[in-house]
Amino acid sequence: MKRFWSWAAIAFGAIYFLLPLIGTIEFSLRMRRGEYSLDAYASVLADPNFRATFGYSVVMALLTILLGVLIVVPTAYWVRLRLPRLRPVIEFITLLPLVIPAIVVVFGYIRLYNTSSVLPLTGTATGTNILLLCGYAMLALPYMYRAVDTGLSTLDVRALTEAAQSLGAGWVGIIGRLILPNVLGAVMSGAFLSFAIVIGEFTMAALLNRPAFGPYMQLLGANRAYEPAALAVIAFGVTWGCMGLLQLISRLLGVRKTAT
Amino acid sequence: MKQIGWNWLGVVPFFAFALLFLVLPTMNIVIGAFQNPQGEFTLRNLAGLSSPRIVDSFAISIKVSLATAILGCLIGFAMAAAVVMGGLPGWVKAPLMTFSGVASNFAGVPLAFAFIATLGRIGLVTMLLRQWFGINIYAMGFNLLSFWGLTLTYLFFQIPLMILIITPALEGLKREWREAAEVLGASTGQYWRMVALPILFPSLLGTFALLFANSFGAVATAYALTGSSLSIVPIMLFAQIRGDVLQDPHLGYAMAFGMIVVTGLANLAYVIMRSRAERWMR
Amino acid sequence: MSFLVLDHLRKSFGPTRVVDDFSLSVDKGEFISFLGPSGCGKTTVLRMVAGFEAPSDGRILIDGQDVTRLRPNQRQIGMVFQAYALFPNLTVAGNVGFGLRVAGVPRAARADRVAEMLALIGLPDLGGRYPWQLSGGQQQRVALARALAPSPRVLLLDEPLSALDAKIRLSLRNQIRDIQQQLGITTIFVTHDQEEALSISDRIVVMHRGIADQTGTPSDIYNHPATGFVAGFVGTLNRFSAEVVDPVAGHVRVEGADIALGRLLPPGRVTLAARPESLKVAPEGIPARITGVEFLGSVHRLRARAGGAELVLDRFNAPGEALPRPGDHVRISAAPAAWLVLPE
Repeated sequence: MKRFWSWAAIAFGAIYFLLPLIGTIEFSLRMRRGEYSLDAYASVLADPNFRATFGYSVVMALLTILLGVLIVVPTAYWVRLRLPRLRPVIEFITLLPLVIPAIVVVFGYIRLYNTSSVLPLTGTATGTNILLLCGYAMLALPYMYRAVDTGLSTLDVRALTEAAQSLGAGWVGIIGRLILPNVLGAVMSGAFLSFAIVIGEFTMAALLNRPAFGPYMQLLGANRAYEPAALAVIAFGVTWGCMGLLQLISRLLGVRKTAT
Repeated sequence: MKQIGWNWLGVVPFFAFALLFLVLPTMNIVIGAFQNPQGEFTLRNLAGLSSPRIVDSFAISIKVSLATAILGCLIGFAMAAAVVMGGLPGWVKAPLMTFSGVASNFAGVPLAFAFIATLGRIGLVTMLLRQWFGINIYAMGFNLLSFWGLTLTYLFFQIPLMILIITPALEGLKREWREAAEVLGASTGQYWRMVALPILFPSLLGTFALLFANSFGAVATAYALTGSSLSIVPIMLFAQIRGDVLQDPHLGYAMAFGMIVVTGLANLAYVIMRSRAERWMR
Repeated sequence: MSFLVLDHLRKSFGPTRVVDDFSLSVDKGEFISFLGPSGCGKTTVLRMVAGFEAPSDGRILIDGQDVTRLRPNQRQIGMVFQAYALFPNLTVAGNVGFGLRVAGVPRAARADRVAEMLALIGLPDLGGRYPWQLSGGQQQRVALARALAPSPRVLLLDEPLSALDAKIRLSLRNQIRDIQQQLGITTIFVTHDQEEALSISDRIVVMHRGIADQTGTPSDIYNHPATGFVAGFVGTLNRFSAEVVDPVAGHVRVEGADIALGRLLPPGRVTLAARPESLKVAPEGIPARITGVEFLGSVHRLRARAGGAELVLDRFNAPGEALPRPGDHVRISAAPAAWLVLPE
């Protein structure tokens, strides 16, 4: 009896979660009247705007990861090494992006960095790109920090540092050549999550008027019928890819950890 | 003393970043909510939130968030409980957890497309129901671009989030607690009412708060799904930022401030409940 | 009529037989220990009595009533678990009163009983605390009070002392025995620690591979082990391979030394065994070489080697008495009655 209800709950969930996926795939194949075809995908892939916006978002995602690593790794390392009492404060700040809705933060950007302000970032395309990049790094902060901090917790940071210092390494060398390689797995898992978040991000890009993939998808959705479904399948594939790589990395890392 | 001064330098980049791109922008909005266009202190903006249009948008936003949080909690709990203690074979758990990890991150514009392709006017399920069973859900009053449509869509990332958070809590229920209760004469119902649910309560309430905030701040899914036909708070704020539809910038700040207050309170509840849950689970 | 009867119990998990033909009759108020290594089936028998496992075969009777098919919550049994298993959401008083609450006992009567139980375990002032505010020893005492509060017919203790540190283990062991005597409650105590079992039991069941090897009083088990396993598991044992020279008169030969046991022996070869405290350094006996001397306070422990056997001899500490030194060649013997004869 108990097992029946358990199967019923799982079956209900499976139907709810699988139907939209099946529905989307089916819909994306329906473009040619009367038969299934990949026309919608062809149409999407042929659209220069798709390539431009997708490329833009991929570059933004990669830069976000880079910026995130540059901010988070040295900070998490330094706090563990020298300022352990500051950890709760840092942790609290890194959780704030989960609390404050992104739309509010970007609203603040627009007000704070407008053309008449001290730092008129929104005045130029480059400036706005930088602003969006910082916004994405801020969105990714909770995931990145948590991943890196967990990674650091498995290391004896102090002993590693002292060993490196006794061999004459400088701070840049310690972080770049010692700490970073050791938390690479953690950084990667944070990076894949960040990638999945940034690639389809809509709110910030739309409000800052940047030609990113998220607003492009929204625009296409408002004007076309079948292409959005194809886009959704592609986006879902990218998310699965990121999560799959994340699992792979953590599994490989787990194996290495038990092997040593 | 000098040593401390040097140590602080190491975290300056982080604090500068957080200040510039998180704290100051937010403070700017909060302060703006209490200022008039001349920069003087006022409570009029907050008072302006009581206009029927804004009150309505908060009401419907809170309604959607409550509905998706409640349903997400219930369904997610049922599925997690089925896997953890429902006597299902062990292989069910790993794919469910992996899928939950993906689906909880599959929000935004594509999710809206997926539901339009499935439950829209010519979506797969809509068509199949009509062809196979002669049921026309749109004639029966269903509309994807409505409260229930939005709720149904949000559940796609709310349920997995619940599963991800509550599964470890359910696994933390010790077998001995159940056995101790049983041998002391308790029925299964008494065990759940007097032991298991009270132990899980902080986790449940905390996750509920998290789901609530998660849904309350979501913009992209709703915007791609409904355009501006459903005036929930984030959509209205989105329109306000784009084109000052309220014709009063400072009323927009007050609205944003209201959002921070709601999500802030929900997350505060989450943090408090979380720490209580951890104390018990030791 | 015995109060608790376990009648030919068997239990198999799939193809593995965990408990095989286990029978035991327990008198009212008796304190029985199940002693054995982990995996010997002792916990499974206990869990069958509690009702968490259904026997594959056999019956369980409490006070004449067949409870074999009853659910755990209908058996009126008290149980204490190894890991305390206190409900973390309830106070100490809430935990102790839990059984009464589910039974529908009114609040006032419940409070009286809880106070009585807390006084019994010596923690009268801790009723308002939560489990996480207590030490391990305190938690286990609360667990005991919780099990006893509804006045169960049988008390089951599943390795209740294993998670505690040595000092608390000793004092709680004595407290459990005191409370059991005071209430006269029929008790089954599962342990893998032979010292625990010997010190507090009326009778001990030594279990091995799902079978009860021997059931008897602590002194029976220690002094007259029925099988080689019991002899080896309970206490330390020195073993010698011996050749029976005269089965009727009871003469054996070990390492070239003749030993007279004065009892009937099986012909051929046997294993001769003796406890560390029975073996003595003597003018006559088995030749051995001392390899070490340890001072343990109340005893000196001598280590020796005789042929291929490593020996342990305990000697009461008597100041001024001369001790052998490592390297000394000595002879070792025991009183004829102290020798155990086990099948080879």
